[in-house]
Amino acid sequence: MQFDLLFEAFGKVMLNPINFFFVFIGVTSGIIVGALPGLTATMGVALLIPFTYGLDPVQGLIMLLGLFCGGIYGGSVSAILIGVPGTPSAAATILDGYVMGKKGLAGKAIGMATIASFFGGTVGALVMTFCSPQLAKIALKFGPPEFFALAFFGLGIIITVSGKSILKGLISGIFGLMITMIGFDPLSGCPRLTFGSIELLGGVTFIPALIGLFGYSQVFQGIEKILTLPTVKSELKNIIPKLNEIKSVFKTMVKSAGIGTFIGAVPGTGCDIAAFVSYGEARRSSKHPEKFGTGILEGVAAPETGNNAATGGAMIPMLTLGVPGDAVTAVLLGALTIHGFQPGPLLFRDHPEVVYPIFAGMILAQFVMLGVGLGGMRFFARIINIDRRIMTPIIFLLCVVGSYAMRFSFFDVGVSLIIGVIAYFMNYYEFPGSPILLALILGPMVEQNLRRSLIISHGDPLIFITRPISAAFIIIGIFIILTSYYRIKKAMEKEAKSVIAEKEKID
Amino acid sequence: MVVKREDIGIGVGLIILSIWLFWYVGRYRPVEIYIYGPDFFPKILAVMMVVLGLGLIINAVLGNSLKMGDRIDPKGFVRMLISVAICIGYLFLTNILGFATATFVFLFVLMTFLKQRGILIRIFSSMATALIVWGIFRYFLIIPMPEGWLF
Repeated sequence: MQFDLLFEAFGKVMLNPINFFFVFIGVTSGIIVGALPGLTATMGVALLIPFTYGLDPVQGLIMLLGLFCGGIYGGSVSAILIGVPGTPSAAATILDGYVMGKKGLAGKAIGMATIASFFGGTVGALVMTFCSPQLAKIALKFGPPEFFALAFFGLGIIITVSGKSILKGLISGIFGLMITMIGFDPLSGCPRLTFGSIELLGGVTFIPALIGLFGYSQVFQGIEKILTLPTVKSELKNIIPKLNEIKSVFKTMVKSAGIGTFIGAVPGTGCDIAAFVSYGEARRSSKHPEKFGTGILEGVAAPETGNNAATGGAMIPMLTLGVPGDAVTAVLLGALTIHGFQPGPLLFRDHPEVVYPIFAGMILAQFVMLGVGLGGMRFFARIINIDRRIMTPIIFLLCVVGSYAMRFSFFDVGVSLIIGVIAYFMNYYEFPGSPILLALILGPMVEQNLRRSLIISHGDPLIFITRPISAAFIIIGIFIILTSYYRIKKAMEKEAKSVIAEKEKID
Repeated sequence: MVVKREDIGIGVGLIILSIWLFWYVGRYRPVEIYIYGPDFFPKILAVMMVVLGLGLIINAVLGNSLKMGDRIDPKGFVRMLISVAICIGYLFLTNILGFATATFVFLFVLMTFLKQRGILIRIFSSMATALIVWGIFRYFLIIPMPEGWLF
């Protein structure tokens, strides 16, 4: 680490107003793209790359980084306001953020999401700046058993996002894993459960499934209850969280930042896994796990810190090894190549004039995102005050367009509608949708790496225990499953007893 | 209302689905080095789902089912189905009229169906939304949307 070059890069990037302008364009575009369901940060970065051809490489790259960070944050805006995650990484934010929105606290929730995203993104960027080579060495040790163990650990979070019934949460999770079986088998290429349909050869696409689970189901419920649901006016005063409120969630943010950065640094994972694991851990370790899901600030802070911390983490393997941390960094890798730079170990040696400004640009993007987010909060909060009879059709339209935009396919819109109808009934019978989403994210990773590991070990399952990193994840995963189960069960029994006691008092 | 009957029905349905899945994936035979073939993981999931389905049934029989918080409103359910039908009509219209025009018609019809008062508000909201979404996709994201007779 050459500190003189680092400080010089910070000075050049942060003190040049033109750089600030490009980062602002990137962040604002990212927030818009992230807030629109169906449009992902990956798509936004890919679409913005051609605009960087005529720019100085550093300016072009920091604009793309701004879009990356803004896009991941932007998903929380629609998750909180309309209950549809703008990006997959904001799905965990719905669990408490949307509930806060329904209580008239949308502004506060967005404020918390902004501050948490800023905190997580800054921690991730700082870790990326100072610890890239060391973290990359650990990430390089991940093989199929480690990836399976990580996915097993991630699936254990299903217990914490199961809501009132862990059994029904597990059923949802297994159902989600079954959905991932549709399409080409990842190892042999054999088409499975396609029933002769060409469109299903690629499987059920993730974004339409996400929109169906969270978007259409909310829209259908909204249309069903449009005459009976009370109108909620969003509070527009005191929407920036108070200092004592931020202090109360600070410990959670620190933990989530660490979790998010680490998970982001593992190639092939991403911000969505980071968000769920952060949320799950926050709930598991909370003194009041029963309050999660009822609209609390901690339930917004944890996933938003985790997913934005993962942006910095995902850059680590991309820059140091030339291996993308997630889908967005895969596109960013392409952008670097287009501009004539080859990511990998030699990038630090041969082009420090690009690497260090990337570090500085990432941190600048967090401050710009904080400013734009806090500045736009009142405007965002007013959206909830629009008449439901106008908003519901607009959200319906966004769901249709979002599920179409991924592959320009009406088939995807149809699949999304069907999943939406199923999710609509699931909500009524207390089957949660979040485990299905977790399963869709982790299912392919679980199956591929389980089978690869067993092939490598000639069928010996001890391979997962004899490798230290894999064993660590399995043991931590089992520990988290057991402790989460007992803590949540205990908390729910306590809550049920207090409800009965209240009823007896009234009687 | 306790959902005991529904839980038993869902449990039975899940068990039937899992048995069918276990049988159906048997046709995907493992080949040579891929001894853990395409049928391996689906069979594991099918077994797990049978166990969970049985758990759901036992839970319901023992009286531990959750209470259903909200009931489905029959009139609201019909309203929802009609909205889905309007959406399907919109998808067909998109290729005929073009995205922007079909979107305006879709939003206007849906807002009218949901009894939004004020025809001018409906027209303005529908038109503004259709144009903004079309503009974002056409000029900002440069994503092609279906075109028809109009735009």
